[in-house]
Amino acid sequence: MRKYAVIYKSVLMENLQYAANVVMGFFGYFVFIFIFIKLWGYMYRTPGKLIAGYTKEQMIWYVMMTEMLFFGSDAASVAGEVAGDIRSGNIAYLMNKPYHYTLYILAKYTGEWSIRLPMYAALAVVIGMVMVGPLPGFPFTALPAMALCVVLALTINAVFKLCISLFSFWIEDATPFQWLYDKLIVVLGILFPVEIFPQGLQPLLKLTPIYTVCYGPAKLIVDFSPEKFVEILAAQGVYLAAGCILMFLIYGKGVKKLYVNGG
Amino acid sequence: MGSARRCTEQAVLLFYANKQDRKEEESEMQAIRVENLSKTFRVKRKEKGMRGSVKAIFHPQTEEIRAVSDISFAVEEGEMLAFIGPNGAGKSTTIKMLTGILYPDGGRVEVLGFDPTKKRRQLAYRIGTVFGQKEQLWTHLTPYDNFRFFGAIYDLSERETEARIEELSERFALKEFIDTPVRNLSLGQRIRCEMVAALIHKPKVLFLDEPTIGLDPVVKENVRELIRQMNREEHTTVFLTSHDVGDIEKLCRRIIIVNDGQIVLDDSVEHLKRHYPVKEAGEMPVYGEKTENDGTIPVSLEEIIVEIYKSQGED
Repeated sequence: MRKYAVIYKSVLMENLQYAANVVMGFFGYFVFIFIFIKLWGYMYRTPGKLIAGYTKEQMIWYVMMTEMLFFGSDAASVAGEVAGDIRSGNIAYLMNKPYHYTLYILAKYTGEWSIRLPMYAALAVVIGMVMVGPLPGFPFTALPAMALCVVLALTINAVFKLCISLFSFWIEDATPFQWLYDKLIVVLGILFPVEIFPQGLQPLLKLTPIYTVCYGPAKLIVDFSPEKFVEILAAQGVYLAAGCILMFLIYGKGVKKLYVNGG
Repeated sequence: MGSARRCTEQAVLLFYANKQDRKEEESEMQAIRVENLSKTFRVKRKEKGMRGSVKAIFHPQTEEIRAVSDISFAVEEGEMLAFIGPNGAGKSTTIKMLTGILYPDGGRVEVLGFDPTKKRRQLAYRIGTVFGQKEQLWTHLTPYDNFRFFGAIYDLSERETEARIEELSERFALKEFIDTPVRNLSLGQRIRCEMVAALIHKPKVLFLDEPTIGLDPVVKENVRELIRQMNREEHTTVFLTSHDVGDIEKLCRRIIIVNDGQIVLDDSVEHLKRHYPVKEAGEMPVYGEKTENDGTIPVSLEEIIVEIYKSQGED
Protein backbone atom coordinates (compact mmCIF):
# COMPACT_ATOMS: atom_id res chain seq x y z
CA MET A 1 0.00 0.00 0.00
CA ARG A 2 2.97 2.31 0.59
CA LYS A 3 3.55 2.71 -3.14
CA TYR A 4 -0.04 3.80 -3.73
CA ALA A 5 0.26 6.28 -0.85
CA VAL A 6 3.39 7.64 -2.56
CA ILE A 7 1.56 7.92 -5.90
CA TYR A 8 -1.21 9.79 -4.06
CA LYS A 9 1.31 12.10 -2.39
CA SER A 10 3.14 12.78 -5.67
CA VAL A 11 -0.11 13.75 -7.42
CA LEU A 12 -1.00 15.94 -4.47
CA MET A 13 2.39 17.69 -4.71
CA GLU A 14 1.99 18.10 -8.45
CA ASN A 15 -1.57 19.38 -8.25
CA LEU A 16 -0.88 21.78 -5.41
CA GLN A 17 0.96 23.89 -7.96
CA TYR A 18 -2.28 24.24 -9.89
CA ALA A 19 -4.66 24.77 -6.98
CA ALA A 20 -5.38 28.26 -8.33
CA ASN A 21 -6.76 26.70 -11.54
CA VAL A 22 -9.54 25.07 -9.51
CA VAL A 23 -10.84 28.52 -8.63
CA MET A 24 -11.61 29.06 -12.34
CA GLY A 25 -14.29 26.39 -12.10
CA PHE A 26 -16.01 28.13 -9.18
CA PHE A 27 -17.95 30.35 -11.56
CA GLY A 28 -19.66 27.37 -13.22
CA TYR A 29 -20.57 25.92 -9.83
CA PHE A 30 -21.94 29.24 -8.63
CA VAL A 31 -24.14 29.67 -11.74
CA PHE A 32 -25.59 26.18 -11.30
CA ILE A 33 -26.33 26.70 -7.64
CA PHE A 34 -27.74 30.18 -8.19
CA ILE A 35 -30.22 28.81 -10.75
CA PHE A 36 -31.29 26.03 -8.40
CA ILE A 37 -31.67 28.38 -5.44
CA LYS A 38 -34.02 30.54 -7.54
CA LEU A 39 -35.84 27.50 -8.94
CA TRP A 40 -36.46 25.83 -5.60
CA GLY A 41 -37.21 29.23 -4.03
CA TYR A 42 -40.09 29.54 -6.52
CA MET A 43 -41.28 25.96 -5.88
CA TYR A 44 -41.22 26.50 -2.10
CA ARG A 45 -43.17 29.78 -2.12
CA THR A 46 -45.42 28.59 0.70
CA PRO A 47 -43.50 28.75 4.03
CA GLY A 48 -42.99 25.36 5.72
CA LYS A 49 -43.84 23.45 2.54
CA LEU A 50 -42.30 19.99 2.05
CA ILE A 51 -41.55 18.48 -1.35
CA ALA A 52 -40.90 14.73 -1.37
CA GLY A 53 -40.24 15.02 2.37
CA TYR A 54 -37.54 17.74 1.97
CA THR A 55 -37.66 21.27 3.36
CA LYS A 56 -36.46 24.10 1.11
CA GLU A 57 -33.11 24.26 2.93
CA GLN A 58 -32.64 20.50 2.70
CA MET A 59 -33.49 20.45 -1.00
CA ILE A 60 -31.06 23.25 -1.88
CA TRP A 61 -28.30 21.84 0.34
CA TYR A 62 -28.87 18.46 -1.30
CA VAL A 63 -28.25 19.91 -4.76
CA MET A 64 -25.29 21.90 -3.45
CA MET A 65 -23.73 18.73 -2.01
CA THR A 66 -24.28 16.58 -5.09
CA GLU A 67 -22.97 19.37 -7.34
CA MET A 68 -20.01 19.74 -5.00
CA LEU A 69 -19.26 16.01 -5.48
CA PHE A 70 -19.63 16.40 -9.25
CA PHE A 71 -17.48 19.53 -9.62
CA GLY A 72 -15.01 18.60 -6.90
CA SER A 73 -14.16 15.22 -8.33
CA ASP A 74 -13.42 15.96 -11.96
CA ALA A 75 -12.92 12.40 -13.11
CA ALA A 76 -10.69 13.10 -16.13
CA SER A 77 -7.98 10.71 -14.96
CA VAL A 78 -10.35 7.75 -14.63
CA ALA A 79 -12.28 8.52 -17.77
CA GLY A 80 -10.56 10.26 -20.68
CA GLU A 81 -7.02 9.65 -19.49
CA VAL A 82 -7.36 5.88 -19.14
CA ALA A 83 -9.14 5.56 -22.48
CA GLY A 84 -6.47 7.79 -24.02
CA ASP A 85 -3.67 5.73 -22.46
CA ILE A 86 -5.13 2.56 -23.99
CA ARG A 87 -5.76 4.11 -27.41
CA SER A 88 -2.39 5.84 -27.70
CA GLY A 89 -0.42 2.95 -26.27
CA ASN A 90 0.85 5.13 -23.43
CA ILE A 91 -0.40 2.43 -21.07
CA ALA A 92 2.65 0.37 -22.10
CA TYR A 93 4.91 2.76 -20.23
CA LEU A 94 2.76 2.67 -17.11
CA MET A 95 2.26 -1.09 -17.02
CA ASN A 96 5.90 -2.03 -16.76
CA LYS A 97 6.15 -0.90 -13.16
CA PRO A 98 5.54 -3.07 -10.11
CA TYR A 99 2.08 -1.74 -9.36
CA HIS A 100 -1.40 -2.53 -10.57
CA TYR A 101 -2.34 -0.04 -13.27
CA THR A 102 -5.94 0.38 -12.07
CA LEU A 103 -4.86 1.04 -8.48
CA TYR A 104 -2.25 3.47 -9.78
CA ILE A 105 -5.03 5.38 -11.57
CA LEU A 106 -7.26 5.31 -8.49
CA ALA A 107 -4.43 6.63 -6.28
CA LYS A 108 -3.80 9.35 -8.85
CA TYR A 109 -7.48 10.27 -9.01
CA THR A 110 -7.69 10.42 -5.20
CA GLY A 111 -4.72 12.79 -5.19
CA GLU A 112 -6.55 15.00 -7.68
CA TRP A 113 -9.84 15.29 -5.83
CA SER A 114 -8.09 15.71 -2.49
CA ILE A 115 -7.34 19.26 -3.57
CA ARG A 116 -10.42 20.06 -5.60
CA LEU A 117 -13.09 18.70 -3.28
CA PRO A 118 -12.14 20.64 -0.10
CA MET A 119 -12.03 23.83 -2.17
CA TYR A 120 -15.50 23.18 -3.59
CA ALA A 121 -16.74 22.15 -0.15
CA ALA A 122 -15.56 25.49 1.27
CA LEU A 123 -17.28 27.34 -1.58
CA ALA A 124 -20.50 25.34 -1.08
CA VAL A 125 -20.54 26.15 2.64
CA VAL A 126 -20.00 29.86 1.97
CA ILE A 127 -22.74 30.03 -0.72
CA GLY A 128 -25.08 27.93 1.41
CA MET A 129 -24.63 29.99 4.56
CA VAL A 130 -24.99 33.30 2.71
CA MET A 131 -27.80 32.48 0.28
CA VAL A 132 -29.78 29.68 1.98
CA GLY A 133 -28.87 29.64 5.65
CA PRO A 134 -27.67 26.78 7.84
CA LEU A 135 -29.38 23.39 7.90
CA PRO A 136 -31.49 23.29 11.05
CA GLY A 137 -30.16 20.76 13.58
CA PHE A 138 -27.10 19.81 11.51
CA PRO A 139 -25.16 17.20 13.56
CA PHE A 140 -21.55 18.39 13.53
CA THR A 141 -20.47 15.28 15.45
CA ALA A 142 -21.53 13.16 12.46
CA LEU A 143 -19.10 14.95 10.12
CA PRO A 144 -16.54 12.09 10.13
CA ALA A 145 -19.27 9.60 9.16
CA MET A 146 -20.42 11.89 6.34
CA ALA A 147 -16.81 12.38 5.19
CA LEU A 148 -16.33 8.59 5.08
CA CYS A 149 -19.40 8.15 2.89
CA VAL A 150 -18.26 10.97 0.59
CA VAL A 151 -14.80 9.38 0.17
CA LEU A 152 -16.39 6.00 -0.57
CA ALA A 153 -18.86 7.62 -3.00
CA LEU A 154 -16.03 9.19 -5.00
CA THR A 155 -14.07 5.94 -5.01
CA ILE A 156 -17.04 3.88 -6.20
CA ASN A 157 -17.79 6.43 -8.90
CA ALA A 158 -14.14 6.27 -10.01
CA VAL A 159 -14.17 2.45 -10.08
CA PHE A 160 -17.27 2.39 -12.29
CA LYS A 161 -15.93 5.07 -14.62
CA LEU A 162 -12.65 3.18 -14.79
CA CYS A 163 -14.53 -0.01 -15.72
CA ILE A 164 -16.18 1.86 -18.60
CA SER A 165 -12.83 3.30 -19.72
CA LEU A 166 -11.28 -0.15 -19.71
CA PHE A 167 -13.68 -1.16 -22.48
CA SER A 168 -11.32 0.82 -24.71
CA PHE A 169 -9.31 -2.40 -24.88
CA TRP A 170 -12.08 -3.74 -27.14
CA ILE A 171 -13.82 -0.71 -28.63
CA GLU A 172 -12.39 2.34 -30.37
CA ASP A 173 -13.90 4.87 -28.02
CA ALA A 174 -15.63 4.44 -24.67
CA THR A 175 -16.61 8.12 -24.44
CA PRO A 176 -20.31 7.59 -25.40
CA PHE A 177 -20.67 5.13 -22.52
CA GLN A 178 -19.03 7.59 -20.13
CA TRP A 179 -21.42 10.25 -21.34
CA LEU A 180 -24.41 7.98 -20.77
CA TYR A 181 -23.25 7.05 -17.26
CA ASP A 182 -22.60 10.69 -16.35
CA LYS A 183 -25.98 11.84 -17.62
CA LEU A 184 -27.80 9.10 -15.70
CA ILE A 185 -26.04 10.18 -12.52
CA VAL A 186 -26.78 13.87 -13.17
CA VAL A 187 -30.47 13.43 -14.02
CA LEU A 188 -31.35 10.70 -11.55
CA GLY A 189 -29.11 11.60 -8.64
CA ILE A 190 -27.52 15.03 -8.75
CA LEU A 191 -30.27 17.43 -9.77
CA PHE A 192 -33.05 15.78 -7.78
CA PRO A 193 -33.16 13.39 -4.83
CA VAL A 194 -34.54 9.91 -5.51
CA GLU A 195 -37.75 10.72 -3.58
CA ILE A 196 -38.80 13.15 -6.35
CA PHE A 197 -39.23 10.25 -8.78
CA PRO A 198 -42.38 8.01 -8.94
CA GLN A 199 -42.75 5.52 -6.07
CA GLY A 200 -42.35 2.54 -8.40
CA LEU A 201 -39.02 3.80 -9.72
CA GLN A 202 -37.44 4.58 -6.35
CA PRO A 203 -36.47 1.04 -5.26
CA LEU A 204 -34.94 0.52 -8.68
CA LEU A 205 -32.91 3.72 -8.43
CA LYS A 206 -31.70 2.67 -4.99
CA LEU A 207 -30.24 -0.45 -6.56
CA THR A 208 -28.16 1.55 -9.05
CA PRO A 209 -24.76 3.15 -8.32
CA ILE A 210 -26.66 6.45 -7.98
CA TYR A 211 -27.61 5.48 -4.43
CA THR A 212 -24.01 5.00 -3.38
CA VAL A 213 -22.21 7.68 -5.39
CA CYS A 214 -24.38 10.79 -4.92
CA TYR A 215 -27.86 10.35 -3.47
CA GLY A 216 -26.74 8.43 -0.37
CA PRO A 217 -23.96 10.74 0.88
CA ALA A 218 -25.91 13.93 0.04
CA LYS A 219 -29.02 12.60 1.79
CA LEU A 220 -26.87 11.74 4.80
CA ILE A 221 -25.59 15.32 4.96
CA VAL A 222 -29.02 16.96 4.77
CA ASP A 223 -30.88 14.44 6.93
CA PHE A 224 -28.46 12.41 9.02
CA SER A 225 -29.45 9.39 11.08
CA PRO A 226 -27.20 6.57 12.36
CA GLU A 227 -29.47 3.94 10.73
CA LYS A 228 -29.20 5.68 7.38
CA PHE A 229 -25.44 5.88 7.79
CA VAL A 230 -25.14 2.12 8.38
CA GLU A 231 -27.46 1.39 5.46
CA ILE A 232 -25.51 3.61 3.05
CA LEU A 233 -22.16 2.35 4.31
CA ALA A 234 -23.24 -1.28 3.79
CA ALA A 235 -24.48 -0.51 0.28
CA GLN A 236 -21.23 1.29 -0.50
CA GLY A 237 -19.23 -1.69 0.79
CA VAL A 238 -21.12 -4.05 -1.51
CA TYR A 239 -20.82 -1.71 -4.49
CA LEU A 240 -17.11 -1.10 -3.91
CA ALA A 241 -16.37 -4.83 -3.65
CA ALA A 242 -18.44 -5.65 -6.74
CA GLY A 243 -16.98 -2.72 -8.68
CA CYS A 244 -13.40 -3.70 -7.83
CA ILE A 245 -13.97 -7.35 -8.83
CA LEU A 246 -15.45 -6.14 -12.12
CA MET A 247 -12.56 -3.70 -12.63
CA PHE A 248 -9.85 -6.33 -12.05
CA LEU A 249 -11.73 -8.78 -14.26
CA ILE A 250 -12.10 -6.35 -17.17
CA TYR A 251 -8.49 -5.20 -16.83
CA GLY A 252 -7.20 -8.78 -16.65
CA LYS A 253 -9.09 -9.73 -19.80
CA GLY A 254 -8.47 -6.46 -21.63
CA VAL A 255 -4.75 -6.27 -21.09
CA LYS A 256 -4.34 -9.46 -23.10
CA LYS A 257 -6.02 -7.68 -26.02
CA LEU A 258 -3.68 -4.70 -25.84
CA TYR A 259 -2.46 -3.48 -29.17
CA VAL A 260 0.19 -0.85 -28.85
CA ASN A 261 0.61 1.51 -31.76
CA GLY A 262 4.09 1.62 -33.18
CA GLY A 263 4.98 -1.81 -31.90
CA MET B 1 28.51 -58.66 -17.26
CA GLY B 2 26.34 -57.28 -14.50
CA SER B 3 29.08 -54.96 -13.25
CA ALA B 4 29.87 -53.75 -16.76
CA ARG B 5 26.21 -53.03 -17.32
CA ARG B 6 25.98 -51.14 -14.02
CA CYS B 7 29.06 -49.12 -15.05
CA THR B 8 27.47 -48.26 -18.40
CA GLU B 9 24.21 -47.30 -16.73
CA GLN B 10 26.10 -45.12 -14.25
CA ALA B 11 28.07 -43.54 -17.08
CA VAL B 12 24.86 -42.82 -18.96
CA LEU B 13 23.24 -41.37 -15.84
CA LEU B 14 26.35 -39.28 -15.15
CA PHE B 15 26.37 -38.07 -18.74
CA TYR B 16 22.74 -36.99 -18.53
CA ALA B 17 23.27 -35.47 -15.07
CA ASN B 18 26.23 -33.46 -16.39
CA LYS B 19 24.25 -32.49 -19.45
CA GLN B 20 21.39 -31.34 -17.23
CA ASP B 21 23.86 -29.39 -15.01
CA ARG B 22 25.40 -27.76 -18.05
CA LYS B 23 21.95 -26.89 -19.33
CA GLU B 24 21.01 -25.42 -15.96
CA GLU B 25 24.29 -23.50 -15.77
CA GLU B 26 23.75 -22.17 -19.27
CA SER B 27 20.21 -21.21 -18.41
CA GLU B 28 21.39 -19.60 -15.17
CA MET B 29 23.86 -17.53 -17.14
CA GLN B 30 21.20 -16.35 -19.57
CA ALA B 31 19.37 -13.19 -18.65
CA ILE B 32 16.96 -13.43 -21.57
CA ARG B 33 15.83 -16.53 -23.43
CA VAL B 34 13.45 -16.33 -26.36
CA GLU B 35 12.21 -19.37 -28.24
CA ASN B 36 10.07 -19.24 -31.37
CA LEU B 37 8.42 -16.02 -30.28
CA SER B 38 5.56 -14.73 -32.44
CA LYS B 39 3.07 -11.91 -32.30
CA THR B 40 0.33 -11.03 -34.74
CA PHE B 41 -1.81 -7.91 -34.67
CA ARG B 42 -5.22 -7.50 -36.23
CA VAL B 43 -5.37 -4.12 -37.90
CA LYS B 44 -8.57 -2.50 -39.18
CA ARG B 45 -8.72 -1.83 -42.89
CA LYS B 46 -11.01 0.66 -44.59
CA GLU B 47 -11.64 1.55 -48.21
CA LYS B 48 -10.92 5.10 -49.32
CA GLY B 49 -13.31 7.99 -48.83
CA MET B 50 -16.73 8.43 -47.25
CA ARG B 51 -18.13 5.31 -48.90
CA GLY B 52 -15.37 3.27 -47.32
CA SER B 53 -16.06 4.80 -43.90
CA VAL B 54 -19.76 3.93 -44.09
CA LYS B 55 -19.01 0.44 -45.42
CA ALA B 56 -16.56 -0.13 -42.57
CA ILE B 57 -19.39 0.37 -40.04
CA PHE B 58 -21.43 -2.51 -41.47
CA HIS B 59 -18.64 -4.70 -42.78
CA PRO B 60 -15.55 -4.04 -40.69
CA GLN B 61 -12.49 -5.57 -42.28
CA THR B 62 -9.32 -6.50 -40.52
CA GLU B 63 -5.95 -7.62 -41.69
CA GLU B 64 -3.42 -9.71 -39.81
CA ILE B 65 0.02 -8.21 -39.44
CA ARG B 66 2.74 -10.53 -38.28
CA ALA B 67 4.88 -8.19 -36.17
CA VAL B 68 7.21 -10.87 -34.78
CA SER B 69 7.61 -14.19 -36.49
CA ASP B 70 9.17 -17.19 -34.81
CA ILE B 71 12.31 -15.56 -33.42
CA SER B 72 14.75 -17.22 -31.02
CA PHE B 73 17.77 -15.82 -29.25
CA ALA B 74 19.39 -15.63 -25.84
CA VAL B 75 21.22 -12.85 -24.02
CA GLU B 76 23.89 -13.68 -21.49
CA GLU B 77 24.02 -12.01 -18.09
CA GLY B 78 26.07 -8.83 -18.27
CA GLU B 79 25.95 -8.77 -22.07
CA MET B 80 25.21 -5.57 -23.99
CA LEU B 81 23.13 -6.46 -27.04
CA ALA B 82 22.03 -4.21 -29.88
CA PHE B 83 18.62 -5.26 -31.16
CA ILE B 84 18.08 -3.20 -34.26
CA GLY B 85 16.08 -3.07 -37.44
CA PRO B 86 14.27 -0.65 -39.73
CA ASN B 87 11.04 1.02 -38.58
CA GLY B 88 8.26 -1.50 -38.22
CA ALA B 89 10.66 -4.43 -38.03
CA GLY B 90 9.28 -5.72 -34.72
CA LYS B 91 11.86 -4.36 -32.25
CA SER B 92 9.46 -2.52 -29.97
CA THR B 93 6.95 -5.37 -30.09
CA THR B 94 9.72 -7.73 -28.97
CA ILE B 95 10.78 -5.39 -26.13
CA LYS B 96 7.15 -5.10 -25.04
CA MET B 97 6.81 -8.87 -24.97
CA LEU B 98 10.06 -9.18 -23.03
CA THR B 99 8.78 -6.74 -20.42
CA GLY B 100 5.35 -8.38 -20.17
CA ILE B 101 3.38 -5.55 -21.75
CA LEU B 102 2.27 -7.53 -24.78
CA TYR B 103 1.18 -11.15 -24.76
CA PRO B 104 2.89 -13.35 -27.37
CA ASP B 105 0.75 -15.47 -29.70
CA GLY B 106 3.30 -18.22 -29.71
CA GLY B 107 6.68 -19.23 -28.40
CA ARG B 108 8.33 -18.83 -25.05
CA VAL B 109 10.01 -15.93 -23.27
CA GLU B 110 12.03 -16.04 -20.10
CA VAL B 111 13.63 -12.97 -18.57
CA LEU B 112 15.72 -13.64 -15.47
CA GLY B 113 13.87 -16.92 -15.13
CA PHE B 114 10.43 -15.28 -15.20
CA ASP B 115 7.72 -15.62 -17.79
CA PRO B 116 6.95 -11.89 -18.35
CA THR B 117 3.27 -12.44 -19.08
CA LYS B 118 2.66 -14.47 -15.95
CA LYS B 119 5.02 -12.69 -13.56
CA ARG B 120 5.06 -9.18 -14.95
CA ARG B 121 5.08 -7.43 -11.59
CA GLN B 122 7.75 -9.68 -10.06
CA LEU B 123 9.86 -9.14 -13.17
CA ALA B 124 9.33 -5.36 -13.00
CA TYR B 125 11.34 -5.31 -9.75
CA ARG B 126 14.33 -6.72 -11.63
CA ILE B 127 14.28 -4.81 -14.89
CA GLY B 128 14.60 -1.15 -15.84
CA THR B 129 13.40 0.62 -18.97
CA VAL B 130 14.41 3.87 -20.62
CA PHE B 131 12.42 5.08 -23.60
CA GLY B 132 14.21 8.00 -25.21
CA GLN B 133 11.03 9.23 -26.82
CA LYS B 134 8.83 8.86 -23.77
CA GLU B 135 9.07 10.58 -20.42
CA GLN B 136 8.66 8.34 -17.42
CA LEU B 137 9.39 11.07 -14.93
CA TRP B 138 6.70 13.28 -13.42
CA THR B 139 7.47 16.57 -15.14
CA HIS B 140 6.17 18.89 -12.43
CA LEU B 141 8.23 17.23 -9.72
CA THR B 142 11.97 17.61 -9.21
CA PRO B 143 14.32 14.72 -10.10
CA TYR B 144 14.85 14.15 -6.36
CA ASP B 145 11.10 13.78 -5.71
CA ASN B 146 10.85 11.53 -8.77
CA PHE B 147 13.66 9.27 -7.51
CA ARG B 148 12.01 9.01 -4.11
CA PHE B 149 8.76 8.15 -5.89
CA PHE B 150 10.42 5.39 -7.93
CA GLY B 151 12.23 4.14 -4.81
CA ALA B 152 8.86 3.67 -3.11
CA ILE B 153 7.34 2.08 -6.21
CA TYR B 154 10.14 -0.51 -6.16
CA ASP B 155 9.67 -1.07 -2.40
CA LEU B 156 13.05 0.33 -1.37
CA SER B 157 13.30 1.60 2.19
CA GLU B 158 13.81 5.34 2.75
CA ARG B 159 17.42 4.71 3.69
CA GLU B 160 18.08 2.54 0.64
CA THR B 161 16.46 5.12 -1.63
CA GLU B 162 18.49 7.99 -0.17
CA ALA B 163 21.74 6.03 -0.49
CA ARG B 164 20.96 5.07 -4.09
CA ILE B 165 20.01 8.66 -5.01
CA GLU B 166 23.28 9.87 -3.49
CA GLU B 167 25.30 7.26 -5.38
CA LEU B 168 23.59 7.73 -8.76
CA SER B 169 23.37 11.51 -8.62
CA GLU B 170 27.13 11.52 -8.02
CA ARG B 171 27.77 9.13 -10.89
CA PHE B 172 25.39 10.85 -13.32
CA ALA B 173 26.40 14.36 -12.13
CA LEU B 174 22.89 15.48 -11.24
CA LYS B 175 23.70 17.54 -8.15
CA GLU B 176 23.32 20.87 -9.95
CA PHE B 177 19.74 20.30 -11.04
CA ILE B 178 18.39 17.61 -8.74
CA ASP B 179 15.99 20.12 -7.17
CA THR B 180 14.82 21.72 -10.43
CA PRO B 181 11.42 20.59 -11.78
CA VAL B 182 11.90 18.09 -14.61
CA ARG B 183 9.95 20.30 -17.04
CA ASN B 184 12.72 22.91 -16.77
CA LEU B 185 15.57 20.52 -17.59
CA SER B 186 17.38 20.21 -20.91
CA LEU B 187 16.92 17.00 -22.90
CA GLY B 188 20.37 15.73 -21.90
CA GLN B 189 19.70 16.38 -18.23
CA ARG B 190 16.31 14.73 -18.49
CA ILE B 191 17.69 11.58 -20.13
CA ARG B 192 20.30 11.29 -17.36
CA CYS B 193 17.48 11.58 -14.81
CA GLU B 194 15.42 9.00 -16.73
CA MET B 195 18.34 6.62 -16.49
CA VAL B 196 18.73 7.19 -12.77
CA ALA B 197 15.00 6.55 -12.29
CA ALA B 198 15.36 3.31 -14.28
CA LEU B 199 18.38 2.26 -12.22
CA ILE B 200 17.17 3.22 -8.75
CA HIS B 201 16.26 -0.38 -7.88
CA LYS B 202 19.50 -1.89 -9.30
CA PRO B 203 17.85 -3.75 -12.17
CA LYS B 204 19.57 -6.81 -13.54
CA VAL B 205 18.41 -6.11 -17.09
CA LEU B 206 18.07 -2.67 -18.61
CA PHE B 207 15.97 -2.15 -21.75
CA LEU B 208 17.06 0.97 -23.58
CA ASP B 209 14.85 2.11 -26.43
CA GLU B 210 16.67 4.88 -28.32
CA PRO B 211 18.26 6.34 -25.20
CA THR B 212 20.32 8.94 -27.06
CA ILE B 213 17.72 10.19 -29.52
CA GLY B 214 17.87 13.95 -29.97
CA LEU B 215 20.99 14.42 -27.86
CA ASP B 216 24.04 16.39 -28.98
CA PRO B 217 27.26 14.42 -29.60
CA VAL B 218 28.86 15.37 -26.27
CA VAL B 219 25.83 14.38 -24.19
CA LYS B 220 25.43 11.21 -26.27
CA GLU B 221 28.99 10.25 -25.43
CA ASN B 222 28.37 10.97 -21.72
CA VAL B 223 25.25 8.81 -21.70
CA ARG B 224 27.12 5.97 -23.45
CA GLU B 225 29.94 6.18 -20.94
CA LEU B 226 27.44 5.99 -18.09
CA ILE B 227 25.83 2.90 -19.61
CA ARG B 228 29.25 1.28 -20.04
CA GLN B 229 30.19 2.15 -16.47
CA MET B 230 26.96 0.74 -15.09
CA ASN B 231 27.41 -2.46 -17.09
CA ARG B 232 31.00 -2.77 -15.82
CA GLU B 233 30.31 -2.01 -12.19
CA GLU B 234 26.87 -3.56 -11.67
CA HIS B 235 27.09 -6.25 -14.33
CA THR B 236 23.78 -5.05 -15.75
CA THR B 237 22.56 -6.76 -18.91
CA VAL B 238 21.71 -4.14 -21.53
CA PHE B 239 19.17 -4.70 -24.30
CA LEU B 240 19.58 -1.74 -26.61
CA THR B 241 17.40 -0.59 -29.47
CA SER B 242 18.75 2.35 -31.41
CA HIS B 243 18.99 3.77 -34.89
CA ASP B 244 22.23 5.48 -33.87
CA VAL B 245 25.12 3.35 -35.07
CA GLY B 246 27.40 5.16 -32.61
CA ASP B 247 25.38 3.65 -29.73
CA ILE B 248 25.80 0.18 -31.19
CA GLU B 249 29.50 0.50 -32.01
CA LYS B 250 30.46 2.04 -28.71
CA LEU B 251 28.33 -0.06 -26.42
CA CYS B 252 27.58 -3.46 -27.85
CA ARG B 253 29.66 -6.46 -28.78
CA ARG B 254 26.76 -8.33 -30.29
CA ILE B 255 24.12 -7.24 -32.74
CA ILE B 256 20.81 -8.77 -33.77
CA ILE B 257 19.13 -7.32 -36.83
CA VAL B 258 15.43 -7.92 -37.31
CA ASN B 259 13.29 -7.22 -40.30
CA ASP B 260 9.66 -8.11 -41.00
CA GLY B 261 9.53 -9.70 -37.57
CA GLN B 262 12.37 -12.13 -38.26
CA ILE B 263 15.99 -12.24 -37.21
CA VAL B 264 18.10 -11.67 -40.30
CA LEU B 265 21.46 -11.49 -38.56
CA ASP B 266 22.86 -12.41 -35.15
CA ASP B 267 26.58 -11.73 -35.01
CA SER B 268 29.33 -9.93 -33.13
CA VAL B 269 29.75 -6.29 -34.14
CA GLU B 270 33.45 -6.90 -34.80
CA HIS B 271 32.81 -9.91 -37.00
CA LEU B 272 30.14 -8.07 -38.91
CA LYS B 273 32.50 -5.17 -39.59
CA ARG B 274 35.25 -7.47 -40.83
CA HIS B 275 33.39 -10.08 -42.78
CA TYR B 276 30.15 -8.76 -44.13
CA PRO B 277 30.51 -8.11 -47.88
CA VAL B 278 28.53 -5.09 -48.86
CA LYS B 279 29.93 -3.70 -52.08
CA GLU B 280 31.70 -4.98 -55.09
CA ALA B 281 34.71 -3.30 -56.76
CA GLY B 282 35.15 -5.16 -60.02
CA GLU B 283 34.98 -8.84 -59.22
CA MET B 284 36.10 -8.50 -55.61
CA PRO B 285 33.65 -8.50 -52.69
CA VAL B 286 34.47 -5.72 -50.29
CA TYR B 287 34.66 -6.19 -46.54
CA GLY B 288 34.30 -3.59 -43.89
CA GLU B 289 37.87 -3.60 -42.74
CA LYS B 290 39.68 -3.41 -46.08
CA THR B 291 41.14 -0.16 -47.31
CA GLU B 292 41.53 1.61 -50.63
CA ASN B 293 45.12 0.34 -50.80
CA ASP B 294 43.70 -3.14 -51.43
CA GLY B 295 41.80 -1.73 -54.34
CA THR B 296 38.63 -1.89 -52.32
CA ILE B 297 36.41 0.64 -50.59
CA PRO B 298 36.32 0.89 -46.78
CA VAL B 299 32.87 0.45 -45.34
CA SER B 300 31.48 1.75 -42.05
CA LEU B 301 29.19 -0.21 -39.78
CA GLU B 302 26.40 2.19 -40.72
CA GLU B 303 26.83 1.35 -44.40
CA ILE B 304 26.85 -2.35 -43.62
CA ILE B 305 23.62 -2.02 -41.66
CA VAL B 306 22.01 0.05 -44.42
CA GLU B 307 23.01 -2.58 -46.97
CA ILE B 308 21.53 -5.34 -44.82
CA TYR B 309 18.27 -3.38 -44.45
CA LYS B 310 18.21 -2.77 -48.22
CA SER B 311 18.96 -6.35 -49.14
CA GLN B 312 16.13 -7.48 -46.88
CA GLY B 313 13.83 -4.97 -48.52
CA GLU B 314 14.72 -6.34 -51.95
CA ASP B 315 13.89 -9.84 -50.81
